[in-house]
Amino acid sequence: MTSANPPHDAGRAGLGRFAQRHPGLVGMPLFLLLFLAVTVAIHPSYSSFDAQSLAMGAMPLALAAAAQTVVVISGGIDLSVGSMIAVTNVLAAATMEHANFGQAVLLSVLVLAIGAAMGAANGLIVVYSRVPDVVVTLTTGFIWSGVALLILEKPGGGAPDRFLSLGAGTFATPWISGALILLIASVAIIWIPVQRSRLGLLLYAIGSDKAAAFRSGVNVERTRFLAYVLGGLFSAVGGIGLIMTTGIGSPLAGVYYTLSGLAAAVLGGVSLSGGRGGMVGPVVAAYVLTLIPTDLIFLNIDPNFGQVIQGTLIVLVVMAGGLVALLRARKR
Amino acid sequence: MKKDILYACLAFGAMTVACGGPVPGLAADGQYVVGVSNTLIGNGWREEMVCSIKAEALASGKVSKIVLANRNGGPSEQIADLRNLISAGVDIIILNPSDRKALDPVIKQALAKHIVVVAVDQAVSAPGAYVLSNDQVAYGREGAEALFKALGGKGNVVEMRGIDGVPADADRHEGFEQALKKYPNVKVVASVFTGWSPDKGSQQIKDLLGSGKRIDGVWTSGIDSMIVDAYKSANVKFVPVVGADNNGFIAQMINDKDNGLTAIAVTNPPAVGGAGLGLALGILSGKKEPRVVHLTPRVYTNANARGMDWAKSVYDPKVDPTYPVYSGIPPYTSYTPAQEKACKGPGEA
Repeated sequence: MTSANPPHDAGRAGLGRFAQRHPGLVGMPLFLLLFLAVTVAIHPSYSSFDAQSLAMGAMPLALAAAAQTVVVISGGIDLSVGSMIAVTNVLAAATMEHANFGQAVLLSVLVLAIGAAMGAANGLIVVYSRVPDVVVTLTTGFIWSGVALLILEKPGGGAPDRFLSLGAGTFATPWISGALILLIASVAIIWIPVQRSRLGLLLYAIGSDKAAAFRSGVNVERTRFLAYVLGGLFSAVGGIGLIMTTGIGSPLAGVYYTLSGLAAAVLGGVSLSGGRGGMVGPVVAAYVLTLIPTDLIFLNIDPNFGQVIQGTLIVLVVMAGGLVALLRARKR
Repeated sequence: MKKDILYACLAFGAMTVACGGPVPGLAADGQYVVGVSNTLIGNGWREEMVCSIKAEALASGKVSKIVLANRNGGPSEQIADLRNLISAGVDIIILNPSDRKALDPVIKQALAKHIVVVAVDQAVSAPGAYVLSNDQVAYGREGAEALFKALGGKGNVVEMRGIDGVPADADRHEGFEQALKKYPNVKVVASVFTGWSPDKGSQQIKDLLGSGKRIDGVWTSGIDSMIVDAYKSANVKFVPVVGADNNGFIAQMINDKDNGLTAIAVTNPPAVGGAGLGLALGILSGKKEPRVVHLTPRVYTNANARGMDWAKSVYDPKVDPTYPVYSGIPPYTSYTPAQEKACKGPGEA
């Protein structure tokens, strides 16, 4: 549990100490700013249109990253995130097609509940079957993606225009899109109360060291279960975000988000061994990952390089993180 | 060289002025910038589609640059790619749509910026966009009719379809059924989904051959040369086979004619990409074009000289057997097969 919070370094002041205590809050945003600067440099006519493209493209990925982050912090992994996004996406599209705005909002509450229920199913199986979480969520992922195809056999459905404009529209100025507001709001509404509560502490505790947490009287099973429920909830927000930005439900859309979301989480400073990381890093990393193909189009470079660059970036960031930890350990 | 620029940009970020470069879309002397959006990579047919766009761009002499947005994805990724192409200042967008309806809002935005948008291979519902695609209902109907005629209007046939739930498969099946209505003495003894996978189709025909059912003819949705191979390895007398314009099947069409094979090839050219560009360039030079162009597939059989001549003219021993043969779609394309094979657009070395 101690490793969740780095030791206080007395005498070190201001931003340096803040950066060390909250690497996700400083590193990734700086990285994003650098990327944005590069983008503007290679594409001087960067406008609010591009900012909107970025926010719309990044929202579902950012929520997939958020879903993965909660589970990984608790020491688990969820390979069904993409499929849960697909199910909630097609469920929303199929039910909202002929609904009015008010009904669509009510239906999204229902879809969120179903997302949480799918997460709960993941959690129950992981906790009670004692089968490794990789196997369980890979399998449930197959089941959810089959369910998505049963709900909508091919892309279709829809939602009322006013509902879609919550994500695709803009807010106050054309630079601030609904997708950005919605992302920040949903992550803040779900994550901040959790993080401030006892549950937040317990998530980090079981992720750092399950045995130590258990000996300290933590209900490890209940905490793991709740992590998966939160993962399902974030996935459902992602599914609703996906319909807001595309206007339809697509049963196969989710498959891209499982691994990309995991990549964003790792890039955002979440340790795959659990217990470390926050929510800001992964969400901002989703923006960085969305900017890569955009920059390649502006530079007119074969977009297949995007995968190479994304992979290289993750390796470099993970290595840099390891180096920092190593240096810190030597100093002690 | 472009890679060097990228590295320089990554290294120096905002400080580097040289990263700006020329603004796309402002090409000189009537030259156009073309954006291409494709969301299925690693597929032979799609690769050739992109090559045909590059070849037509080069052959037309009216295109200064192609901006390629090419990655695996769904509607969400394609919307992002199309928005980026709009922002990159292209004059023409050629896209193979991942969805009929989802791209409408972004296509509307492109049209508002006076970009000519052509959807190829599959349709989009956005009014104002042009659609150029192969007529898949006719693909199923024409090939099946040629087969039933070759059988003398009666006999047992096998229908080897593509992927369940895919529009092209549903359309081809509809065409197959239309042909069947005209030939009441033809009986379908088996109908299977090959998934357009060579291995799966190969196994299915082996099972059918082993089942003892009498089969007088085989209609396929493109898993073709594997059927002929299965007949060869089972040492069974050939029956007439309908395939696509795939290189391996064309080879059999030519070489196994003397061994008693009747092969019927139905064209489904990936050159719809290049044809879409040809259509767009025509519009920009002031021509009137219909909003929707359905290309009727051509049917060739090795039973006559016309079919054999065609087969010999398109067959290329250097091309992979599962790749479609290279061909243009006049009058929309003007490139040579060599240009399509080279797969180089303007400015590419």
